[in-house]
Amino acid sequence: MIRGILFLCASISVLTTVAVILALSSETVAFFADPAVSILEFFTGRQWTPLFAEDQRHFGILPLVLGTLLVTAIALVVGLPLGLGSAIFLSEFASDRLRRSAVPILEVLAGIPTVVLGYFALLTVTPVLREIVPGLNLFNPLSAGIVMGFMILPTVSSISIDSMQAVPRAMREAAYGLGASKAEVVVKVVIPAALSGIVASFILAMSRAIGETMIVSLAAGQKPTFTFDPRETIATMTSFIVQAATGDQPAGSLASRSLYAVGATLFLITLFLNIMSQQVVRRFAEKYE
Amino acid sequence: MSISTPGEVGSRVSKDRPSLLNNEERAQLAARKRNGKFFLFLTVVPVILAVLLILTLFGSVLLQAVSWQVVEPRNSGQTFSLREARTWEGVVRLELLAQGRTTQDIEALLSDSEELRKFKARNRVELMFRANGEPLRWVVTNIRDDVEEVYSLIERWDRERDSLTELAEGQNYYLNPWMDFSFLLRNNSGRPTVAGLSSALVGTLWVIGLVILLSLPVGVGTAIYLEEYAPDNRFTRLLEVNLRNLAGVPSIVYGILGLYVFVRTAGFGPSVIAAACTLSLLILPVVVIAAREAIRAVPGSLREASYGLGATKWQTVSRVVLPNAATGIVTGVILAVARAIGETAPLLMVGGAGFVNKVPDSPLSNYSVIPTQIYSWINAPQKAFDNVASAGIVSLLGVLILLYVLANILRRRYEKKW
Repeated sequence: MIRGILFLCASISVLTTVAVILALSSETVAFFADPAVSILEFFTGRQWTPLFAEDQRHFGILPLVLGTLLVTAIALVVGLPLGLGSAIFLSEFASDRLRRSAVPILEVLAGIPTVVLGYFALLTVTPVLREIVPGLNLFNPLSAGIVMGFMILPTVSSISIDSMQAVPRAMREAAYGLGASKAEVVVKVVIPAALSGIVASFILAMSRAIGETMIVSLAAGQKPTFTFDPRETIATMTSFIVQAATGDQPAGSLASRSLYAVGATLFLITLFLNIMSQQVVRRFAEKYE
Repeated sequence: MSISTPGEVGSRVSKDRPSLLNNEERAQLAARKRNGKFFLFLTVVPVILAVLLILTLFGSVLLQAVSWQVVEPRNSGQTFSLREARTWEGVVRLELLAQGRTTQDIEALLSDSEELRKFKARNRVELMFRANGEPLRWVVTNIRDDVEEVYSLIERWDRERDSLTELAEGQNYYLNPWMDFSFLLRNNSGRPTVAGLSSALVGTLWVIGLVILLSLPVGVGTAIYLEEYAPDNRFTRLLEVNLRNLAGVPSIVYGILGLYVFVRTAGFGPSVIAAACTLSLLILPVVVIAAREAIRAVPGSLREASYGLGATKWQTVSRVVLPNAATGIVTGVILAVARAIGETAPLLMVGGAGFVNKVPDSPLSNYSVIPTQIYSWINAPQKAFDNVASAGIVSLLGVLILLYVLANILRRRYEKKW
């Protein structure tokens, strides 16, 4: 009896996955079944205007994907070096005491609600950037990406610290014995040995950045634009989903279904990245006794 | 000969002994030392940048939560010191006296509940950090007060330098803390000066209360099943893989799930219960992982001892394992709840984005929660709503800090070491 109840509890998580897949796929199939939508246009079209009037609608997801990639790329350019750098400092240079007190401080960045980070990007970072970067729009992927870089910093650093700490002391000592300096040991011994964990943390951080919603909705804007220019107002997959869901799109309309199609695309991309990061750890992790 | 610490290049080359290195090698050594220092610098900078960003963030939010206002008051325009009045009623009495009402009149107003309700709807008592140059003054503001200007502390410096702080006749200067006690008790409003957090605060309490009720039993049940009962078969492995992947699904996807399953299919509409179900599924993987770790930390010898005394499996789990894992489970749930409180995106999807100025009173009421309320305020057209949003952020961060401190205290004080 009790075993049965516990089994039911455990099945809820499986049911969740089934429900996610069911919800996304059924509405996405209905979306593509509509005569106004073509799969070819969806994957190659450069205009995304499903909330417009019927004769001006276009369903090409590329602007949203490009917007997402633009913000993510900026976030990674900021977040990966910062995350890896702080991980190296805290794991290899800092004392145990400093590490124990500094790691929770970095974790604060991951604990701050993203709506707060979005507010910060929009009202503090953007005004500063507009002084520096000419032609920067009020809503822009640059400021969203920079703040998002700090959001993913703890993801990168905490996983990287763990994998660097797992590198056995004997390997470091051997390198020192050969006359290597501290920096040389870190670059040539510790990082290569911990590489699988570090790469996994990069992939996981990328997945976080792609799925992040509030920072981009608030700071990057909600105007799907096919552009590589980080000063333009753009929209991402996530910010479009919020925009479509908070407007008054009647259930079952093409506009409302388009959000499921975007959601399915987002789900598949992040799922792929998460599985990749698990595979990297499993396949390439160096085992030490 | 001194023994060098590892990693200090060339530290064994002491001054008083003839060096064994030629010039080229010495230059190489110096270059390696320089590279080492540069590398250390490269790794310190990110930590400093991260800490600076956190400080800037908190600083800018706090700065935005206070602003200067030039107000043309509709009430008496007088302000009162903390010594003159300590209670709400005391301040109101002083204000009404200043408006020229008689004592009798005032007593009548204060004792008549209907009159009092009307008065409260139009006026509120605020403690201003500064008013007309004096620190900490009570002000009774009227809903019809004309707010001429609102500017930040930094803009005030610029104005003082350019001596633009002159006031017209009948205007008052207030340094208004947006995040004051009455902000938490006021309802939301379309006017920034009177908009408050109470509906969102109660909304958050409702949603989080239900989230705990839903996710705690299911999460702990799943953890017990996986740790104590599950046979090693394909379904169990599927469960494990599934939980790992669910933890990586973006929260907005849970919002889509909630919109489809709870709002539309189950017919809950944009209600508290739809929000609670969505958030429960969102934090379930986190609760399960935390509970599993806590259960795994209970040593096997305790279980064996319990079995040795003739206890059944469930007796062992419920009376030996769970009590000993309780601290870990509770800590994990608190941290998961802290995450749920800050979640915005999935709740925007399941109805948290609407304008709500009523306190929810049932699981089927419309709602807003603190983060979605902040989102609406940031998106509101008037600039003064940015200040209201930062007052909301200060409250949100305050709640989160409380929870983290609580979790830490629990962990330090009650965690058992085996």
